[in-house]
Formats: sequence, C-alpha cells, structure tokens
Amino acid sequence: MDLMPSAEQEAIRSAIRRVLGDRVPTTRLREAMVQDTPAMPELWQEAARLGWFGLHVPPEAGGSGYGTAEAMLLFVELGRTLAPGPWLGTVLAADALAADGLDRGSLDRLLAGTLAVAVADDPEGVLGETERLEGVIDGVADLDAADAVLVVGPRRVGWLLREPRLEIAVRVRPCMDPTRRLGTLRCSGAVVRALAVDAPRLRRLGTLLAAAEALGVAERALEASVEYAKIREQFGRPIGTFQAIKHRCSDMATRTEAARAAVIWAALAIDEGLVEAAEWVCMAKILATKAALENTHDNVQNHGGMGYTWESDAHLFLKRARFLEHAFGGRMVHLDALAAPWRADS
Amino acid sequence: MELRFTPEEEAFREEARAWLEAHVPRGPRPAAYDLRARREYDMAWQRTMFEAGWAGINWPREYGGRGASLMEQLIWYEEYARVGAPEASTTFVGLKHAGPTLMACGTAEQQARHLPPILRGDVVWCQGFSEPNAGSDLAALQTRAVIDGEELIVSGQKIWTSFGQIADYQELLVRTDPEAEKHKGISWVICPMGLPGMDVRPIKTLAGNTDFCEVFYDNVRVPLANVVGRLHDGWRVAMATLSFERGTAFIPDQVRLARRLDEVIALAREKPGPSGRGRAIDDDELARRLALAQAEVHAMRAMTYRSVSGASRRGMPGAEGSMIRLFFSELVQRIDQLTLDILGSESLEGFDREGVPASGWAERYLIGLSQTIGGGTKEIQRNIVGERMLGLPR
Repeated sequence: MDLMPSAEQEAIRSAIRRVLGDRVPTTRLREAMVQDTPAMPELWQEAARLGWFGLHVPPEAGGSGYGTAEAMLLFVELGRTLAPGPWLGTVLAADALAADGLDRGSLDRLLAGTLAVAVADDPEGVLGETERLEGVIDGVADLDAADAVLVVGPRRVGWLLREPRLEIAVRVRPCMDPTRRLGTLRCSGAVVRALAVDAPRLRRLGTLLAAAEALGVAERALEASVEYAKIREQFGRPIGTFQAIKHRCSDMATRTEAARAAVIWAALAIDEGLVEAAEWVCMAKILATKAALENTHDNVQNHGGMGYTWESDAHLFLKRARFLEHAFGGRMVHLDALAAPWRADS
Repeated sequence: MELRFTPEEEAFREEARAWLEAHVPRGPRPAAYDLRARREYDMAWQRTMFEAGWAGINWPREYGGRGASLMEQLIWYEEYARVGAPEASTTFVGLKHAGPTLMACGTAEQQARHLPPILRGDVVWCQGFSEPNAGSDLAALQTRAVIDGEELIVSGQKIWTSFGQIADYQELLVRTDPEAEKHKGISWVICPMGLPGMDVRPIKTLAGNTDFCEVFYDNVRVPLANVVGRLHDGWRVAMATLSFERGTAFIPDQVRLARRLDEVIALAREKPGPSGRGRAIDDDELARRLALAQAEVHAMRAMTYRSVSGASRRGMPGAEGSMIRLFFSELVQRIDQLTLDILGSESLEGFDREGVPASGWAERYLIGLSQTIGGGTKEIQRNIVGERMLGLPR
C-alpha cells in the first residue's frame, strides 16, 4: 500500500506541469477565452506529441500503457491551469475506442491531436439506446471544439462523428465558466455506432477524471490564497498572521488533502478492479467538487476587493469549480447514489 | 501508488487478526465510574498482549516492543479496532507519551526502571502538563520546582489529568528556573503519585463522568534524579512527547468512528423521520448528511494511509498529522450531531438526576465535545497547519 506518487509518477506530473505552465499562463488563457471557440491549438498539438490523450491506453492501441492514476495526474494539472479544450471527452474517447478496437482510424487521429471529442453524459438514456439517437441533450460542454461526440448512456456508449448532417443540430452558447462554451445536441434519427465498452465503467472513469480536475482547482485556489496572505499587508502586517485568514487557509488545505486522498484512492481502485470502486468514485467526486467550490469561494474572500474583480483570476477558478460540479453528476446525485442502498426497503 | 498490501503485510494482518480474535477480552469493560475495576481490566489485557509479544507495537525491540513498521502498526490498529479490543485509555499515556519520551531522552537507569512495567501492564501513567493558566499556551506553566539538595520541591497545580486517581506515575512539567524565558527553565520530571503534599481531586465533566482530575502540589519532594533530559530543558523533551501523539495512535479511533457511522445508518433505518412519517433515512437531508459523513470517514482513512505512506518513505511523521487530527475531531462532532438529529427528542431521555447519561448516543455526543479541545484545541491545530504546513507567518 502506497498512496504517494512513485518517482516515475512525479516525473510525469512535473513534465505535465512544466508544459502547462509554459503554454497556459493566464494571459494566454484570457486571450483564448474571448475567441469563438476557446481553444489552444499549439497546446493541443503538444499534448498529442507528448501522448497525454492516451496515457492510460494500452501500447498496442497506440497509448502509453499507464493507468488511471497517471490520467488522474494529468487532470489535476489541467484543473490547476484551467487549460481550455475538450480534454475529458477526448481522453474518455481514447479509452472507449481502444477498448472497442474497431475504429483504429478515429483512435489514431484522436491520439495525433486531429480529432477532438465532446462527451454527452446521458445517464437517463434521454437519447435512447437504439442505433438511431432521438431527442435533445443539454449542457454538453465544448461541442463547438469537438469533431465527435461520445454519448455515455446508462448501458451503452455511442460514437457520433459530428460531420455536417441533417439529423444532428448543435446550438452553442456561453457558459458561466468563460473558458468554454455550452451546447445543446439535438438528434433526430442520427445513426450512432455502439462501442464495445462497459458504459458504467466509462462513466466511473469520467467522474473520476472530473474529480481530479476539481482537485487541481482546489489546489490552486489554496496556493493563491496562501501566496497572497503572505504578501498582502494590512494593519502593518501580512494578513496571513491573522487567525481569521490563517485558519481559513488551514481549512482549505485540510479539505484539499481529504479530496486528494479520496481521488488517488478511487483512481487506484479502478486500476485494481475493486468492486468498491463505484462507491469510492462517488465519494471522490463529492469531496473534490466540495473542496473546489469551498476553496474558490474562500479564495475570492481572501483576496478582498481584488478578489471581486474580473482582473483577478480568482473568479476563473470559482467558475471552473461550478462547471465541474455538474460534470458527470452533481454532489446531490452522488450523495443520493451512496444513500440509495440504505433507503431500499429491508 | 497502489492500494494493495504486500503478501508479507497480508500475512501480518492474518497473524494479528487470528491472535486478536482468540484473545480479546470477552467480558464487558467496567463502567467509567468504576475506575479501579477498569484499571484492573486494562492491565490484565495489557499483560495478555505482553505475554504474546504484541505489547508496545510501535516500541523498538531494544526496549522490549514489537518494533513493527509503520505499515504493520497501521494494520495492527485496524485489526485491533475491528475486533472491538479495548480502547487505549488508562494505558495511553504510558505507552504513547511517557514511554517514548523516556526512550528518547531518559537515562539508561530511568529506562530500565520504568519501561518494562509500562509494557507489562504493571503501572498507569498520567499527564501533568496543563494548568489553569496554561492550556493552549502550555509554556506559560507556573508550577514551581525548587532544587533542595538531591530533591525538587514542587508547588502548584495541574489540571485535565486523565486517570489521575488511579495512576502510579505522572509525567510532570515544572518551572525550575523562574528567571529564564518562557520556553526555557522548564523541566520534565517523573513524579510518583501519592507523595506527601499531593492532592488529587476529580473534575466532573459536562458528560457527567470524572475521567480527569486536578492535582495540587504543596511542597512535594521529588528526587532530582527523576528529571528526564537536562534540567531546564523540559520544553524540548515535552515536544518530543507531543509529536508521538500525531503518529499512528489514532487509527483505532478512526476505525471505531467508521463502525459507529454504520450503527447510525442502521439507526436511521429504524427511527421515524422528522415529520413522523416514514423513516429517518427517507428524509433527503438526513440521508445526504449520512452519505457525506460516509465519504468523509473514507477520506480520513485515505488521508491516514497517505500520511503513513509518506512517513514510511521519510522515516518520520509529517505535520499532516495535525490536519488529520483536525479533520477527525470535527467529523466526530458532525456525526454525533447528526445522530441526535436522527433521534429527535428521544435524545433527551435516559439521564439521571446527576446529569449522567445512561450511556449510548447522548453520552457519545457529550464526550465528543472534548474532541476539538483535548490534545491541542482545533484552533491550535489550525495554527500548526497554517504555520508549519503552509508557511504562513506567525
């Protein structure tokens, strides 16, 4: 048992952090987010070159052959920098296409960085699970940047290329998180290919990676507050000397560590194929989004008047936390899932 | 990173579980008010562990302990709590505070005289650190000790001394140099209980029990040879002691909390809901609070595993112990409050005229209020996290 990263995992993490630090300073992020589609094509190409989309994909399918733990490390770093782009859908699609094994062409393009994928989480099966999708699904992030959509239904995962066709209509609009756009996917008999991949497993992976991204947001909000509390002076001393600030930072750190431990645990449980993984992923998502939301709120407060401005980055982290809260199910959904067995009649 | 234990660690778990299941005391533990009976019960259990080589799981072999690795300690404590073995209470200070301090700072004579009886379950130790005017600000302590030949003459008062009524020895912090600055001029002394001039008075807690005491010293003569470490260097000696408190010793409490939450969930399936309709578990708010508590209990275990992973690599515990302690203590109180919300007005029942709860949920809730005070208040823990982990200025 060892819940600390190995030397190799540390190396992977620091390499990712270095690239994202160079490519996604917030000045660049702010330029990207006012574009029609807030993407960073150079970063996307570099990510492809470095194999980030296929970290946990087996080597024979073109990936790096690492596990969920390494993919988790990537998403923590993405959350820390608020890197824009359809990362979640693309990494999940790499997993699904590799497991399916029948569309090597799409997988190769995806891993080469020329095919980006949005994910439509459809746990209730609104679009149906037949070969033709029928219906509307709302709140699909990054549809504007995607060449394909991965539809994760209750029992089936569908693969939908977004080439121009009459049976698919997409409407895109701004999101509270200004680094991405939200979309509505309207299908009227669109033919979908069912991928041979276990839908609940893929949803678990997506939930875990969203939790990891939220953890990264929580980490950065904590660090930003601590950095500021050390240099900002009022009443002739750093505000970090005041217990009102110090204790809040301490609470931020504690809930971040709780989330980190739960996210790592859940990632390892997926890799080791443990039956409790479903429950542990729920817990990781609950704790990570809770930490992200609470930390980003606290971070605005710790920055005082500056924290309330558009110029400060504090709101960007808060809005990403808000977005991630809803990715693959909000806290209420996951809490209810945990409580469901207790509520079943005995 | 991995969740699996090694085959050697799994074998250790099997061995520990088998022994614990065969030897854990079957009879009920004497009630809290009968401290003498409780002492005998705890001492007998300690002796049983000692004879089988399980006593002092974290003590090095050279001092007669098991010398288990941190990972083995974690496994032992998990199994220990899982079989419902007695909580460390009367043996805690000896095994986790005084013993380790003597190993770190005591002379060979002090070690030879005091360590074996602690391990065998012959003696009970208590703590004499806090004073009425020295709580979180422990270094403000005022109990004086004047050197008189080969003796120290101690005068003053200590407070919050758990099991002072039944202890044999006390780890006592006294001011030996009143001229020195606050953190200097303190000495750490082995004080036998029951010396002339000592007066131990139980303090009744808000939970109605008398687990701890105040101790008064009126010219109590203690041999100078009982000073541990150098004279006037007791603050450093005491800090060595306190860091042991943040190691693996709280793992059993965590396992017990997880089990208690299972009981609370079962309770919510039996009791009526807040409106009188349906069961408590059918109420969305109660169900979600229980689910969050379940996630947090899990996170606490994961945090502990991470801490043990880190400590195993570094060879020493990190400051995250304060973080886990803080998280645990507040979680206990959240679960206790949730329990009372599930019970509704039924939680008001079962008290006698002295305010003593018959036992059960209300008692746990009341005792739980001490979680964020004892062993460093939650405010002190937050200072430690803020200053030592985050590097915030003092």
